[in-house]
Amino acid sequence: MNLNISALDFVQEVKTGNISVEDFVAKTIERIQNVDDKLHAFLSVNEKSIDQARDIDKRIKSGDKVGDCFGMPISIKDNICIKDSKTTCASKMLENYVSPYDATVITKLKQQDAIFVGKVNMDEFAMGLTTEFSAYGPSKNPWNIEHVPGGSSGGSAVSVSAFECVASLGSDTGGSVRNPASFCSTVGYKPTYGLISRFGLISYANSIEQIGPLTRTVKDTAFMLNLISGLDPNDNTTIDNKNEDYLSGIEVGIEGKKIGIIKEMIGEGIDSEVLSATKDAISRLESLGATCEEISLDMVKYSVAAYYTITATEAGSNLARYDNLRYGYDFPLEGYEFNSYISKARKKFGPEVTRRMIIGGFVPSAGHAGKYFLKALKVKSKLTNEVNEAFKRVDLLVSPTVPVLPFKLGEKIDDPISLFLVDINTVTANLTGKPAISIPFAYSNGLPIGIQLMADSSQDKLLLQAAYALEQTVTLPEVPI
Amino acid sequence: MVSEEEIQHVSKLMRIDIDDHKEYVEKVHMMIDYFDILDSAGVESEEISMPEISISDLREDEYIPFNDKLIEKLNHYKGTYVRAPKMSS
Repeated sequence: MNLNISALDFVQEVKTGNISVEDFVAKTIERIQNVDDKLHAFLSVNEKSIDQARDIDKRIKSGDKVGDCFGMPISIKDNICIKDSKTTCASKMLENYVSPYDATVITKLKQQDAIFVGKVNMDEFAMGLTTEFSAYGPSKNPWNIEHVPGGSSGGSAVSVSAFECVASLGSDTGGSVRNPASFCSTVGYKPTYGLISRFGLISYANSIEQIGPLTRTVKDTAFMLNLISGLDPNDNTTIDNKNEDYLSGIEVGIEGKKIGIIKEMIGEGIDSEVLSATKDAISRLESLGATCEEISLDMVKYSVAAYYTITATEAGSNLARYDNLRYGYDFPLEGYEFNSYISKARKKFGPEVTRRMIIGGFVPSAGHAGKYFLKALKVKSKLTNEVNEAFKRVDLLVSPTVPVLPFKLGEKIDDPISLFLVDINTVTANLTGKPAISIPFAYSNGLPIGIQLMADSSQDKLLLQAAYALEQTVTLPEVPI
Repeated sequence: MVSEEEIQHVSKLMRIDIDDHKEYVEKVHMMIDYFDILDSAGVESEEISMPEISISDLREDEYIPFNDKLIEKLNHYKGTYVRAPKMSS
């Protein structure tokens, strides 16, 4: 049985009776057992998957109504809550945390008979872009296991890329879905802010983060969006998308569309192979009937500093809840005073989380807020104005997803500033709330390169149409694992 | 430029124990120094825009019982109270 099929093909094959859900899920679990020692995408595997698959097969046979996923095996980033199962955020702090409720995206996927095969690895509390900050060890890039898979949703990208599931959900605060998608050659989607409910996503930086799918094809992403987007009374930031069907009309093409090439994202610091892939992508977009022109966004230069200032501030507040009194591990109270207990308990946070909490206390503090936090918010506003102005002239923006190729494990872990700059092309979509997608596009020495397209707010459908058009021009090799 | 003493002071306020100076204070120092780039963005006169949600769009402010047994998942509790360490020694 071929595990390398798209979500839509999986559904079709099950519907037509060509494959049984039980066989497919069993093979998927076997695949995880065979390759995950090497890749470390999974933090936990759902032992009930095969029973759930058998149950869906039974319901199909007896003609009962079955949801649109038809038992599709999906992996879930370990910061999204599934009732009665562990949600660790790849942190020792939440090592034993069992969620008492389902995230809204999980409720929706359960209603559509998805099967969650397991929870996948990430940088601790989603802070990082390589998975090297996971308290349980890094995931490996299936294209070359000496290289990072990207992050923070690294486990999601690895599991989709290496056929350990058909699709995955990650979260994207500054590129955390698109970056690993680019590094592992999958599609990765960051929707318009508010399109997908964040209820049940463990908070890192609420004002800019979104849950997003990682899939094999652009159509699969549209399919997933149809299932998980929309208003949620439990998340007041969600927007009404009027039950938009993102799949219908996805093949219309981009004839006559105007595309802006973001000048600041193809300049200094870009790898020459990534640059030539981007130029190739631009000429293919033109050959599909789009017109491309260079566009300048001055604030991009400051976007990473603004991004880290804002996210650290929100993280400092969000992570204050981890006092080990309501969540946490077994650590006796006796012999401690209140503050010293909390300080000691927090030693379970890994180094990156600890650093960002310190920054999160520093940059908005009295005496420093004017220089850091307020200035960062102003950069965010100005960047948003610049991007809004750009979308008066063009329909889409294009850039490489990441300016560099997947680098080696350990290569940048001790250099926070060089890690900062890996985010330079992705944070703009988060700071401005715009939708953005990474599409697998090329390879250099066996390492994947992704292309990013961005659209105006609530133009998710147009964005997917363009991504689909570009995807059709590309033929890529199969993952060598 | 910020000083390492300031960073250590804030860490204490954030209730974070630091035992590896190089790993924490030095790296945080590097990161915060990078944020100096914000000074050259020329955004001093920029307005900060915030999303607004009108009160009528908020959900009803009503008490919805969740699960009485939830407290039993805690390591330290008594009845319906969370147990915490004493406030001063």
